[in-house]
Amino acid sequence: MAASFASKCSRVGHSLFGGLGNSLSGLVTTSQEIICNKFLSQQQQQQRSFIQMRTVLKVVDNSGAKKVMCIQPLKGRKGARLGDTIIASVKEAHPNGKVKKGKVVYGVVMRAAMQKGRCDGSEVKFDDNAVVLVDKQGQPIGTRVFGPVPHELRMKKHVKILTLAGHIA
Amino acid sequence: MRLEKCWFCSSTVYPGHGIQFVRNDAKIFRFCRSKCHKNFKMKRNPRKVKWTKAYRRLHGKDMTQDSTFEFERKRNRPERYDRNLAEDVLKAIPKIDKIRVRREEKHHKNRMKGNKAKLLKEAARELEQGINLVKPPSVLQKDPSLTLPQIKVLVPQQQTEENRPMEE
Repeated sequence: MAASFASKCSRVGHSLFGGLGNSLSGLVTTSQEIICNKFLSQQQQQQRSFIQMRTVLKVVDNSGAKKVMCIQPLKGRKGARLGDTIIASVKEAHPNGKVKKGKVVYGVVMRAAMQKGRCDGSEVKFDDNAVVLVDKQGQPIGTRVFGPVPHELRMKKHVKILTLAGHIA
Repeated sequence: MRLEKCWFCSSTVYPGHGIQFVRNDAKIFRFCRSKCHKNFKMKRNPRKVKWTKAYRRLHGKDMTQDSTFEFERKRNRPERYDRNLAEDVLKAIPKIDKIRVRREEKHHKNRMKGNKAKLLKEAARELEQGINLVKPPSVLQKDPSLTLPQIKVLVPQQQTEENRPMEE
C-alpha cells in the first residue's frame, strides 16, 4: 500500500513538474509536493484495499449475524483478499440466530471490492465486502448463501460453500 | 478461452485484458480497458456516448442487421473437438471478416452519399455567388456567357420576363 502510494506520488510529481515548467523547479519543498499529490490522487480514483483489522463486512448467509468486524486476517501481511479466511467479531446480529453479537467467529471472504487477479490474466471485483461465517474446520455455519460467489473458493477448498451458492461468478 | 465483449464500447476483450465487475445481483460487466470502466463508474449510458458501438448502431452510423453477424453469436454449448471442423472454421474466419468489412464500407458510403438534388442546387448557388473569383464583374457584364441565366418569375403585375437561352 505504502509502496504503491509512494510510486503514485512520484509519477504525479513528475507530471506536475512538467506542467509547471521551470518556474517552481527549485522552490517546491517535499512536504508541499506530498500535499499536492494527495489532493490529486483523492480526486482521481477510489483506491480499494485489503480487508484488515476494523473492516466491517456484510454477512451473506443465514447464520444469524448481519455485520462483522475483522479483527485479524489469517495469512497476508497487508490484509485479506477474496477467498481468504479472517477472524471477525460479530457487531450486528438477527435477534434469534445461531450466532450472537460479540461472538468471535471465523469467516471466508466471499466478495471483495478490491480486484483480484485471475489465472487467465483478467481481474474481478465485486460491489462490496462480504463474508460467510465458518467454523474452525472451514465448514459453513449457515445453510444458505446469498449473492454471487467467486470461483476462487474452489482452489481454497471451500467446496461446501460453493454448493450452497445460488450463483457462481 | 473465450473472447468477450466490452459492456461499454462493445469491443472484444482478449484474455489477459480488462476488468470484470460483478454486481450484487450477479450481473457481470466486462470492460476492455479502464476508459470504459471509468465511464461506467460515472454512470454514463453507452447509448449516449458517441464513440461506442451502441451509440453508432442506435443512430444508424454502423450497420445493424447482417447475416455475417450470425457467425459471431454467443454459443453456450461446447462443441466436441473435430479437427476438420476446426480447420474449416479457421479458413472461414478471414473470408467472413472480408465480406463483413466490405458490407460495412458500402453502408458507410451509402450514408455519406448525400442528396443529389440538394447538392446540385448548392453547387448552382455557389457558382452564382462566387463567379467573381473566376472573372472580374466588369468583364462579366460585357460578356454574359459565363453567368447563369437570371430567371425572373412572372408576378401578376406588369413585369417583363427575360428569355435568355440556357447556356452550359
